[in-house]
Amino acid sequence: MVKENKVLEAKNVSKRFGEVQALDKVNFDLNEGEIHGLLGENGAGKTTLMNILYGLFTEDEGEIYIRGERVKINSPLDSIKLGIGMIHQSSTLVPEFTALENLILGTDGNKMSLELKDAEKEIEKFQKDFGLKFPLHTKVKDLPAGLKKKIEIIRAIYRGANILILDEPTTSLVQEEFEKLLESLKKMVAEGVTIVFITHKIKEVIQACDRASVLTGGIMQGTIDTKKATKEDLVQLMFQDAEINITESAIPIINLPDVEKTSEPILKLQNISAQSKEKDGINLDSISLKIYGGEILGIAGISGNGQKELAEVIIDPNNITKGKLILKGKKINGMSTNKVFSRKVSYIPEDRKKESIIGLGNITENVLLGHQREPRFQKKGIIKWDKVTREAKNIIDEFQVKTPNEKKRAGKLSGGNIQRVVIGRALINELDLLVTHSPTAGLDMASVEFVFKRLVELRSKGTAVLYINEDLDELMQVSDRIGVIHEGKIVEIFGQDQFDKYKIGSKMIGG
Amino acid sequence: MAGQEVSLKQTTKLQKIWVGSKPYILALLIAFGITGAIIGLLGYNVLKAYQTLLFTSFTSQRGIIETLKKFIPLTLTTYAFAIPFKIRFFNIGGWGQMLFGGTITAIVGIALAGFNLPAIIFIPILILVAMAAGGVFALIAGFLKAYYNINPIISTIMLNFIAIYFVNFIATTEPWKAPRTGHPMSLKLPEAARLPELFGQIHFGIVIVALVIIAVYYLINKTVLGYEIIATGINPDAASVYGIKMRRTLMLTFLIGGALGGLAGGIEVMGVHQRLIEGFALTSGAQYGIFGILTALICQGNPLGVPLSSIFISILLVGADAMQRTLQVPVELVFLSQAIIVLFIVVLRRRAGGSFIQ
Repeated sequence: MVKENKVLEAKNVSKRFGEVQALDKVNFDLNEGEIHGLLGENGAGKTTLMNILYGLFTEDEGEIYIRGERVKINSPLDSIKLGIGMIHQSSTLVPEFTALENLILGTDGNKMSLELKDAEKEIEKFQKDFGLKFPLHTKVKDLPAGLKKKIEIIRAIYRGANILILDEPTTSLVQEEFEKLLESLKKMVAEGVTIVFITHKIKEVIQACDRASVLTGGIMQGTIDTKKATKEDLVQLMFQDAEINITESAIPIINLPDVEKTSEPILKLQNISAQSKEKDGINLDSISLKIYGGEILGIAGISGNGQKELAEVIIDPNNITKGKLILKGKKINGMSTNKVFSRKVSYIPEDRKKESIIGLGNITENVLLGHQREPRFQKKGIIKWDKVTREAKNIIDEFQVKTPNEKKRAGKLSGGNIQRVVIGRALINELDLLVTHSPTAGLDMASVEFVFKRLVELRSKGTAVLYINEDLDELMQVSDRIGVIHEGKIVEIFGQDQFDKYKIGSKMIGG
Repeated sequence: MAGQEVSLKQTTKLQKIWVGSKPYILALLIAFGITGAIIGLLGYNVLKAYQTLLFTSFTSQRGIIETLKKFIPLTLTTYAFAIPFKIRFFNIGGWGQMLFGGTITAIVGIALAGFNLPAIIFIPILILVAMAAGGVFALIAGFLKAYYNINPIISTIMLNFIAIYFVNFIATTEPWKAPRTGHPMSLKLPEAARLPELFGQIHFGIVIVALVIIAVYYLINKTVLGYEIIATGINPDAASVYGIKMRRTLMLTFLIGGALGGLAGGIEVMGVHQRLIEGFALTSGAQYGIFGILTALICQGNPLGVPLSSIFISILLVGADAMQRTLQVPVELVFLSQAIIVLFIVVLRRRAGGSFIQ
């Protein structure tokens, strides 16, 4: 057997954050010139491990070797010197600078003037070699997410990185873009770059990686050769005891039972244009949609194409500039959120901590949110706290919220438990329409399955569900139809028999 | 996670109280230390100064009465700041609202003098007038914020100036001004419009304030509106997503805060001076409205903490006056220690991981 050339080895690395053991004696190594998948659920410790290698955190115990030599990485400055580059999940580029300015930022510390011409030539060569094309002289804030990823990769290479850590690089990419990125990565590997590819999708690992390591709950479950391994081996490593059936994209498998749809749509958007509430938001542009009772209508799209605006125009139809919003046959343009909610509508927002809960309030106080003016919880403006407490206890029981009692601060619950409270709260009343935006983001597998099951239950009861999500794999699991939103427009609606990652993906990027 | 829950259970009530009060005790010690050092450096007797400062309120019946007399308007102007502060807006205008409330009370009181109303009707009318005046005056700032996004700090400060000159105008202009006086003041209110004295010592305002304390507690903890105010304060995004009307909530907090500021003015006019008089909203040479901000910051705007922190500052104010009278230590040094207390409470709470706004 050929002796592999280890460029990086981490031995017995441990890291603790307060009460949480984020990493427990983790061993990890990289062979020269490989794409190494680092697989695990959200919160498994993948990013923590990589942040230690990149010098953002320091390990509590353990040793790190680069090319056989023991090193101590105290800051990203150290790791850059050692040839380690990291591309974070969210962009670290300066939005007001052009791509070129971003690339040279911080590289020539001792010169007073910037010699852009030389740098430009060098960068263009990298671009050509690796097939990573992007405009050099456009401000980064005007570029789409996919291009920003490319700029960050070139930036790392330009700074001399030969070990490249990519943290969930595919989150905002559609299938087609992912494949192009993969091609570029393979070219880099051929030039001697070693790549760590962090993901929670088994399919991507099989497609992209030479070897893969699996982390769960801060423990390294093992490393396997993906050429020899099957999807089942990886699933086995990732979800040893779980009784959840999952797809190869690591999504729980859910069966949609046959449900009769209502003959009339619950909600009709007729040619709706609406102004975004946010400064840099996208305005909705002539959107027409019908959502029937007993169906889940998925909305796919790259983040920031009007998803949030679409959800908000339904629960707060005050910014409509054109068109009609019709709920159960009645026009609701200009109606207040309270009134919309009182017509058996509820909403689960995208950003749990920011929009779903009052973090400093306890579970009971959070259960009341949105219901505080309903007669059953108040009389003449005086809240019936005993009724609210009873409802909170019910939700904790029924939705298996892990908490000592209903007086625990909501902000201190885990994401999955917060979402159980939020869903429980939305389901206090019978619903005709549920609008939900990325309800599964960042949740562990059991909670994702929990959310899916609730959505499907609602569908069986005849509720209309508008399910907005950036994750196409998830959408395809639970949707009856999928509409694609791009720059504030619904560009196409796919029926279940037309679901195809490539076709939908290309619509998502405006194809 | 499991470990965290265990450790939560292990903290006893006493420990919780200690953790909660630690920043306050430390801030107090630091502030008194620094002020003490300055008093000493200026050549005064530090021990005697502190003795006077802290204990004047308790050593005589007069001290207690004086303290309560300051406590009444101070509690109200503290609420004037604390209630809009619940949704993170700064009402710097408690001062102007107090002046405006007092002035309108005097105008209406003088205007109604000829009707010979009995006290039982006259006084409630004037109390409502004072509250309405202060409330509407503050509502201007709330409205400007809600509909034109004008920072209430700016609008309330500007409104303060209007109120100051309004007082002067009324107190120096016919038909309101009192004849033949050097100091700007209005005619006296009719007998039936003056707050009665309880036990011949302290005016009825103390009862009104007690009722206000109970009412604010009830409002914040038991009512839908209180819930909406708290929810908006903690997380305005979630509150608005779930249908709480931001503009309405915002304007209501200014209306309620301003009403209590106005009430402070009305009570001072009806209970203490029995007329409008320039400077009626002053204590120890500074505005009750300004002390209200300080006092509210000490208790972090917590409605339950308001009476406590008001009584504390009232004790200091009475002590400071006595200190100046008997030891010639300038009252400003006490203001200094109050400012230091607030600064350190903010700093220490930040360090303890607590947020400035609850």
